Amino acid sequence: MKPTTRLRQLIADPEILVAPGAYDGITARLIEQAGFAALYMTGAGTSASFGLPDYGLLTMTEMVGNAARITAAAGSLPLIADGDTGYGTELNVVRMVQEHERAGTAGIHIEDQVSPKRCGHLDGKELVSTQEFLAKIRAAVATRRDPDFVIIARTDARSVAGFDESIRRANAALKAGADVAFVESPQTLEEVRMVPQRVDGLCLLNIVWGGKTPQVDLREAQLMGYSIAILPGLLLKAVYGACDAALAELKETHRHPRPLFDGNVRDGFRRFGADQWDALRSRFRDPPAPAAE
Amino acid sequence: MARPTSILKAIINRREATILAGAANGLFARIIEDIGYEAVYVTGAGVANMYLGAPDIGLTTLTEVAAHVAAIADAVALPLLVDADTGFGNPVNMVRTVKVLERAGAAGLQIEDQVFPKKCGHFDGKDVVPLQEMLAKIKAAVDTRRDGDLQIVARTDARAILGLPAAIDRAGAMIEAGADVTFVEAPTSAEELAQIARSLSVPQVANVVFGGRTPELGQRKFAELGFGCVLYANAALQAALKSAHDVLAALKREGSLASVADHLAGFDIRQQTVAKPKYDELERRYR
Repeated sequence: MKPTTRLRQLIADPEILVAPGAYDGITARLIEQAGFAALYMTGAGTSASFGLPDYGLLTMTEMVGNAARITAAAGSLPLIADGDTGYGTELNVVRMVQEHERAGTAGIHIEDQVSPKRCGHLDGKELVSTQEFLAKIRAAVATRRDPDFVIIARTDARSVAGFDESIRRANAALKAGADVAFVESPQTLEEVRMVPQRVDGLCLLNIVWGGKTPQVDLREAQLMGYSIAILPGLLLKAVYGACDAALAELKETHRHPRPLFDGNVRDGFRRFGADQWDALRSRFRDPPAPAAE
Repeated sequence: MARPTSILKAIINRREATILAGAANGLFARIIEDIGYEAVYVTGAGVANMYLGAPDIGLTTLTEVAAHVAAIADAVALPLLVDADTGFGNPVNMVRTVKVLERAGAAGLQIEDQVFPKKCGHFDGKDVVPLQEMLAKIKAAVDTRRDGDLQIVARTDARAILGLPAAIDRAGAMIEAGADVTFVEAPTSAEELAQIARSLSVPQVANVVFGGRTPELGQRKFAELGFGCVLYANAALQAALKSAHDVLAALKREGSLASVADHLAGFDIRQQTVAKPKYDELERRYR
């Protein structure tokens, strides 16, 4: 089954689809091995992996290149990717959708911030007009070659123009052809609850630690009516913490600290497909056995 | 040996209206070098046209432009003046753009005051950012360059939107912000070109687009006015386009190249242009 079709099935399922955020091949593989059904490519994490903040500094080429890396690493899972603003106007959105489809991405979200954008949980964001936002959604819908490719409309209006405006924009985007609405950074539990009630379509919840939205249990989010939950920073923040601790311990003890992952070199490679590659090592060396008569 | 940045700076400051032919790839840059030009202009419109088969409306990314610049820098020894459009975003993006393109091998960067994503300077419907934002971009570029001779060529597209006096005022403010060279895009007469050169203290760039809005005064006249260089950004592209079209149409029509043979470079010229003798020599040396 195509990843796009699989993603649609998972979204339609009454159970909430939980997509932890990956930003490279390692995080993609770990999400797959942990048994999640889908994964999310975080733009903030991708920027961080370049050593940069989420200030719209990466190019579409770099973002899509990372999506291609992730789909190659965790090929069995559908990928939802952060498409930011589409990196320009609706014409740039056309090119971005073409490139993401080619990279094997199953769905993207497109937002209504001014391009270049800022992280949704930072201050100082600016919005484009609803008209310009809808032009981007229409462009994305018209460009996808695979009708199952999922277009998620994200509005950043909550912190700039208020909750009502964010709901109005989400509904307008669904009417313009978006498959899912993503109201970014509702600021109270009540607002989190209101989104699925006031949006006329499927909803995505963004669970960010230390952001503007209060923490919500995934089971509760499902009861509220959310179809998808993404956790973009889950692994990135775990990595900061693990790395800081290991580096501090090395400085202090002058010895290799006992890692959180306490396996040998071989165990580590097995997490990244060593067994499958070992099978390929010998497989092509000898001519295939003649087929039995 | 002088750095490419210093060479480009000297060329522009001679104010001899040195013609910079544009290249969008290594092959065109090689032709430019073989003919004896002193520098190459890396054309953003050319990259959009030749790489994507798309118009110059801001579809190419910084990553893609940088890859082209790096390939061209490897193919020729000439300094490269690179079209960096708007800096691909806001002043913060400009910081990364300067780092990436300087590392890719640019000797000068041309940055403009259009709204991101930009449009070709000779198209209708373009728009400019507030002057303060453009000045912030120039300061960002000047602060970021590692080589102080990396030429910052500040282009204003305001002529078509706000009129010539406003465009000249903008260019003047860009000089104060640290631009080494200014470039008032798409003046429409010889008198306008003269007024630009008279009004601004630093060397000027003129852009002659075949079929565009700026009259082709000829190099001698541009030099009399004191222009630093004159861009013929897409002369090679337009020549190749017509020739390729005519040859392929004839081949389709007639089933052979006989009637258009004089349009085609011979096999030897082609290999000479891509420096095959140099690579042959390298092969001998390292074998």
